[in-house]
Amino acid sequence: MSSSPRNTRPSDLILLVILVVTMVALTVAFFAGGYWDGMFPPDAVTTQGDEIRSLYDIVFWIAVAIFIVVEGLIVYSVIRYRRKPGQDDLPVQTHGHNLLEIAWTVVPTLIVAYLFVISFQTLSSIDAVARTPDVKIRAVAEQFRWQFDYLADDGVTTLFTEEVATADLGGGMHVPVGVNVQLELTTPDVIHAFYVPRFLFKRDVVPGMTNVFDFTIDPAEAGQTFSGQCAELCGTGHRVMLLDVVAMRQTEYEAWKAAKIEQANATPAPTASAGPVGVTLTVGALNIAFDQLSLEVPADQAFAIDFTNSDPPGVLHDIDIRAADGTVLQDQPTIDGGESTTYTFGALPAGAYTFICSVHPIPAMTGTLTVR
Amino acid sequence: MATTTTVHPAAATYRSGLYEWLTTTDHKKIGIMYVVNSFIFFFIGGVLALFVRAELAQPGLQYLTDEHFYNQIFTMHATVMIFLFIIPMLAGFGNYVVPLQIGAPDMAFPRINAMSLWMLPLGGIILLSGFVLGGTAAAGWTSYPPLSSDRPLASTGPGQDLWIMALILIGTSSILGSINFLVTIFKMRAPGMTLFRMPILVWTVLVTSVLVLMATPVITSALIMLFIDRNLGGHFFDPATGGNAVLYQNVFWFYSHPAVYVMVLPAMGMISEILPVFSRKPLFGYKAFVFATAGIGALGFSVWAHHMFTTGAVFLPFFSLMTFLIAVPTGVKMFNWIFTLVRGQLTFSTPLLFALGFLSMFLIGGINGAFSASVPVDYALHDTYWVVAHLHYVLFGGSAFGVFAGVYFWFPKMTGRMLDETLGKIQFVLMFIGFNLTFFPMHVLGLQGMPRRIADYASAAGWNDLNLAATIGGFLIAASMIPFLWNVLVSLRGGTPAGDDPWEGNTLEWATSSPPPPYNFDRLPEIRSERPVFDMRHGHGAGGHK
Repeated sequence: MSSSPRNTRPSDLILLVILVVTMVALTVAFFAGGYWDGMFPPDAVTTQGDEIRSLYDIVFWIAVAIFIVVEGLIVYSVIRYRRKPGQDDLPVQTHGHNLLEIAWTVVPTLIVAYLFVISFQTLSSIDAVARTPDVKIRAVAEQFRWQFDYLADDGVTTLFTEEVATADLGGGMHVPVGVNVQLELTTPDVIHAFYVPRFLFKRDVVPGMTNVFDFTIDPAEAGQTFSGQCAELCGTGHRVMLLDVVAMRQTEYEAWKAAKIEQANATPAPTASAGPVGVTLTVGALNIAFDQLSLEVPADQAFAIDFTNSDPPGVLHDIDIRAADGTVLQDQPTIDGGESTTYTFGALPAGAYTFICSVHPIPAMTGTLTVR
Repeated sequence: MATTTTVHPAAATYRSGLYEWLTTTDHKKIGIMYVVNSFIFFFIGGVLALFVRAELAQPGLQYLTDEHFYNQIFTMHATVMIFLFIIPMLAGFGNYVVPLQIGAPDMAFPRINAMSLWMLPLGGIILLSGFVLGGTAAAGWTSYPPLSSDRPLASTGPGQDLWIMALILIGTSSILGSINFLVTIFKMRAPGMTLFRMPILVWTVLVTSVLVLMATPVITSALIMLFIDRNLGGHFFDPATGGNAVLYQNVFWFYSHPAVYVMVLPAMGMISEILPVFSRKPLFGYKAFVFATAGIGALGFSVWAHHMFTTGAVFLPFFSLMTFLIAVPTGVKMFNWIFTLVRGQLTFSTPLLFALGFLSMFLIGGINGAFSASVPVDYALHDTYWVVAHLHYVLFGGSAFGVFAGVYFWFPKMTGRMLDETLGKIQFVLMFIGFNLTFFPMHVLGLQGMPRRIADYASAAGWNDLNLAATIGGFLIAASMIPFLWNVLVSLRGGTPAGDDPWEGNTLEWATSSPPPPYNFDRLPEIRSERPVFDMRHGHGAGGHK
């Protein structure tokens, strides 16, 4: 402080030791725990993602170099230039140095100019959109689900729609590897973002606008599933807007697609006949989850479900019944948050079925209905 | 005779203490109340952050099982921290210090100054009243429409409208404050205090005020449009009826990116006052620093759309280039600070520790921000926890550490008492460790794909350990506030008397008593450089020039 510095107090020394030891321990734990690899994005699975990864690596290593130099300079100055007992005279009053100022203006300018140029080169490549993509899909984002319309060669007509977005429910965006897939993004409600971490990519889904991007999955990734989710806050159920990308070999994809088209063109199953209601069950929904995921009713007898939606207004739910293959057997209207209703379902033959919220076809809102 | 004395100059002393504080137009009292008010909101915002961290500590919904409430919590955390803590806190320091540093008796418009202050708690109460009126805003602090405009899809209750009203009020307070600063700085400097002899803090407040004055009316327009869309059947942002959802983002960020510099420039100014004092050297490259500050202010208006790279509605090369370029003046400052330390004689008092915390953490916030300037890399990082890490390294590692440096540095001037050094250092150590433990793991979480603003994540995603670490760090930061509060309470009553100039300061506030008298100065030293009190102590040109 004033005229001459005191000797270091013991309490200061203890605190310094705590600070240094803890920071070193945390750093060691970071490396020893394998988290250093986490400073890099996961391995990319698309050609575009590979390019982003190469660019990331360059940016990252330049950043590490700058960090070490500058942070090192700070630490060095702090250790080297501490005031020692007996230093009463003022240090030399340096006011600046023009050459140094020019140097640390010009050198960073060159570095960022280089980063801009390589970023721009990568950008032109990954943002390129083909006029005639091999596969064209329209992803429709809605609060709080994804669905995928597979488009015909004209790029407009929908061949069929994959309504279930995740693989664990038998759905997901199935795409062939090794070919150029174009994804068109639309939404009828609020802003969402299509994000698959292993694509190293996201693009907003903006109402009133159609965003388009291309990707090609590396052939080696056939058979893999890559999870993704909405990355732009879209309301209460933002977190449950999950999706999966299922990479398939070209031939498998063609077979899957043909089966889907056939399914879409098939005549819908006859609606089960209504009759006198046997049992009445009670189901509630809260936080975009059913309160029970397993129901049982007697065979060949109509039944009812007293359904209460305890989510906030704006979050719609319903209960549909689907066959094991995903065909919708009985479709019920949605109710708003805070409302309740009684759904009456027609008789079903014995077997295993799925009851599901058509607005949120996610695991928490997909249960099994056993009819016996 | 006793009755007649009550109407004379000393009338003020006859008022009760509380009444005096509530009605004062003294910039020092107003500045202190700005700081206290901002700290109250800092603690509210901090508690909200702890709710978020507690919920994210492990997968599954444990505490905030109503996700709509979770969305309210993080929306209020960010809104409170930005608009009711950082911005007014720095304005508070400006209020207290700027008139003293330029040798002025008060701000140019003392009554407007008081009005600017009192609008802030009012705005805060309106904002947070949503919690008891059926829910606050829940669409994030950015409140993008249609989520924020289309009520059934987003939030119930009047929260979003309260948010709009609160922000317009706080914005008006900022505009009035910035005009006050500009007039004060241009018209009320003491004789000899030329522009290039002004302390750097005054320069940063000057540039900040220009930013506030130019940008705040723009966000006000966005807020009013949003209000019209919500309540009066407008369609500014509704694409179904010819509006444009991205328009809001452009207008919003045209303010909110410059607002980042509003939130950091005055903290940079505070650091630039503190480093020279504890290094016993002048700031290295004073003029370069001034030009860099002006450069950041100017470039700050051309980078807003880097928050919108993934919208597909932005001219990417321009905003990418400008965002890279704004790193250059920031780098110039970093080197100037470091070379202020080089060949100095450093005394590690608490203000210097927090200032060094600023340097080392803001450096990381600058570097990890440059990643997002590269558009393809931003495609991977945008809206993930990487961005959460980045913004906290800038606003907490940078601005908040700067604020605490300022508190320890100017508390003796404000109160006449020193804060305790040992408690201060305990706070620093806890806060520094807690900060890094909270926010560094978020880089990894973001890279591995964890999006912002989610209440829960799958256990299989592999994010469990790092989230737990971040939560522990968050509570460590909270714990670091205990020695701080204790320190303030104890030191206010029993702290070592500070004297006029406890740190061997450079600038004019150290030439008057602690606390300064009404109207600040009985007499001023001669002003022949940016360090008049140094010149007074050692003689102009002491220590040799180079």
